[in-house]
Amino acid sequence: MKKVISLVLVMCLIALFALTGCSSKNAETPKENSQQPSKEESKVEFPTKPITVIVSYAAGGGTDTGARILMPYVEKELGVEMVIANKPGGGGWVGWTELLNAKPDGYTIGYINSPNIFSGYLNPAYKRDATIEDFALIANHVVDYGAIAVRADDKRFETIDDLIEYAKNHEVTTTSTGVGSDDHIASLKLNDKLGTKFVAVHGKGAAYGKSGVLGGHIDAYFANVGEVTVPAKNGEVRVLAVMAPERSKFLPDVPTLEEKGYGKVYSWSARGLAAPKGVPEDRLNIIIDAFEKAINNSEQVEKMNKMGLDVKFMKGEEYYKFLKDDEAGIIGVKDLLGW
Amino acid sequence: MDVFTIIFEKILNLHTLLALLMGVVGGMIIGGLPGLSATMGVALLIPLTFGMDPVAGLVMLTAIYTAAVYGGSISAILVHTPGTPASAATALDGYKLTLKGEGMKALGVSTVSSVIGGFFSGLALLVLAPPLSLISLKFNAPEYFLIAIFGLTIIGSLVTESLIKGLAAGVLGLIAGLVGVDILTGYPRYTFGLSVLESGISLIPAMIGLFSLSQALMQAEELGSTNKKQVINELKGRVLPKWKEFKSIIPTIIRSSIIGIFVGILPGAGGDVASWVSLNEAKRFSKKPEKFGTGCIEGIAAPEAANNAVTGGALIPLLTLGIPGSSTTAVLLGGLIIQGLIPGRELFTTYANITYSVIIGFILANILMGVCGLLGARYFAKVTKVSKAILTPIIIVLCVVGSYAIRNNIVDVYLMVVFGVIGYFMRKTGFHPAPVVLALILGPIAENGFRQSIILSRGNMLSYFFSRPICIILMILIVLAVLSPIYMNKFKKANMQQD
Repeated sequence: MKKVISLVLVMCLIALFALTGCSSKNAETPKENSQQPSKEESKVEFPTKPITVIVSYAAGGGTDTGARILMPYVEKELGVEMVIANKPGGGGWVGWTELLNAKPDGYTIGYINSPNIFSGYLNPAYKRDATIEDFALIANHVVDYGAIAVRADDKRFETIDDLIEYAKNHEVTTTSTGVGSDDHIASLKLNDKLGTKFVAVHGKGAAYGKSGVLGGHIDAYFANVGEVTVPAKNGEVRVLAVMAPERSKFLPDVPTLEEKGYGKVYSWSARGLAAPKGVPEDRLNIIIDAFEKAINNSEQVEKMNKMGLDVKFMKGEEYYKFLKDDEAGIIGVKDLLGW
Repeated sequence: MDVFTIIFEKILNLHTLLALLMGVVGGMIIGGLPGLSATMGVALLIPLTFGMDPVAGLVMLTAIYTAAVYGGSISAILVHTPGTPASAATALDGYKLTLKGEGMKALGVSTVSSVIGGFFSGLALLVLAPPLSLISLKFNAPEYFLIAIFGLTIIGSLVTESLIKGLAAGVLGLIAGLVGVDILTGYPRYTFGLSVLESGISLIPAMIGLFSLSQALMQAEELGSTNKKQVINELKGRVLPKWKEFKSIIPTIIRSSIIGIFVGILPGAGGDVASWVSLNEAKRFSKKPEKFGTGCIEGIAAPEAANNAVTGGALIPLLTLGIPGSSTTAVLLGGLIIQGLIPGRELFTTYANITYSVIIGFILANILMGVCGLLGARYFAKVTKVSKAILTPIIIVLCVVGSYAIRNNIVDVYLMVVFGVIGYFMRKTGFHPAPVVLALILGPIAENGFRQSIILSRGNMLSYFFSRPICIILMILIVLAVLSPIYMNKFKKANMQQD
């Protein structure tokens, strides 16, 4: 009998702590703190308490590091603390779902990463209803355009033309960080437009692809400018082309696919900030203004450039159109994805 | 000559030494608490290093890394609660020793082995980084698949009582490893519509449940059933192993350090894999394999030397190629870049002063960790004298907090509880949770490796595998691993008949 009692007690204890875990989380995210009626929108006193920034990836990752560089500058503008909450999982959608469910009072915002956010709902297997339209966009922070590289001592492909010509008649393996990642979509766009036979070898994380190319196991390195600049400088890879409207300032000698005559084939991964739809407009504008100043702060730009990342501030209609273009690009290769 | 003075100046100043001490002590604490892993420790402290001198900042981060892996074993040994996945293997023999009242000795062996393993890996980093990084590039999907299969052969020998039960537990782990998005097709498998499960069952909550919560449940039960439960006897003896004992584990430590460094340089495998593999190798090479799992010091020395050797090993591809060899080094990469130190050749030429200072700082961190560990062992071991009625609830609190902290997600706590209950019933019925954890780690590596190989081989699987020398070696090793117990048994029987 005593056995049973002590077991029951232990289970109660677990339940208790599970619950406190729950409520402490709520205390952290101001969304549930609904005591103060937020009706005094006429004379906006915003913000008056810390703002939670949901980062949908683990601490220490690229998005997280970028966020931690930017937030001190936003804090300077807004005068309140910006608290980063890492909510990794589900290819980012654990955090994005939480962001969408947060109270739209401007005290919870989050990073949105494209094209990951689109792949998460355009793939019918995930059965998600939410789309980009459910977010109130704040500003874009970083755009990292796609780049195609090969191992530096790969004699087969000296130029992008060599690679594409060869790929039209042979299967060429490419790196990818997952189904529906920007690297994957980029290779599909080329297959779609140019009739190439690129086959993506999906791996978990960027390390797999990079070591695969450097080790000569995978033919072509489909990655981003931020990932290839340093290996190119170190003489480990040769960058053949960038998939951007214009050349990258980090790789001034590398042509774009467009100037090589392969049409407007662009690819990028971008990250910016959004709030759940329904945040009062005046509050949203305060946030947008703060981010505009912070993102354009030259010190912040310099820090991001040091990491090989290009800062590109966009807001409003421009940012929306940029994201919709990205979405349309994925929809364009839906058949190839089997979605 | 000049370089040396610069390096010593960079390390031997108050700022750096303080960062070193903070890293070691902080790492040991973070590592000792379940759920707070080395990765998280490094991630949390990176923003702190923004404003620090690069050497001090990076020495602190690498010190946290190695000390956390060591700290995880302290709780694994004393309370059967591995603080990091890399220390789960240590819990098997370590906790048995604690139950015998020899917790202090177990801590001593663990400390000595960890320091030696870490020290060797630091030396490898200092001297052999470029050639080792080239070896790491030779490994890709087919090799990872075979390494994972090789690791899975351990399951047969991991649990001595019953092969069938061990294999059954392994299958449970493999099934759990199927949950999550299929990386090669993007299809979410067995997620029941939960976004959290799309990234798979997190290893840490599952491990905490299987090892720690199930243990706490067993203890809670004992508390209620009998009053004469054996209190752990007086804490006997010395911390440092006797010379004779030390001599007997030297071969194990060296073998495990080499395994650890080697697994460390591979981007696809980390300390969790290395500790299990070297535990198994120690058993294979041992004259008395039946003593493993009952509390033998080799069973501690092997995983401990290996998991700390992984830390230096994992830094090798990070510093030379910018390819992180483990999840913690993936986070460290961010810390390096923020300091303006871009991995690659420049790190060993233009920034050689900084890089070599950091490497030497890392070696010092391993030694300091040993000093702290040996001095503290007497106090850590007191935990085992705390009444179970007090200790058990504390462990449960840590289980819950730890599984929540890993991703700030309550679902992970539920998962931990589910695995805790599964683990409890497994133990009651003579199963062991270790094969579940091992299979959960290796299953996804094997699956992805195999399926990536199919793509890479362009449909010509057999010739692809046989055209790769490392694959052939691994296949021979696997065959030997599977067949050797059968031969050994026959050999033993023949011997016994002769006697």
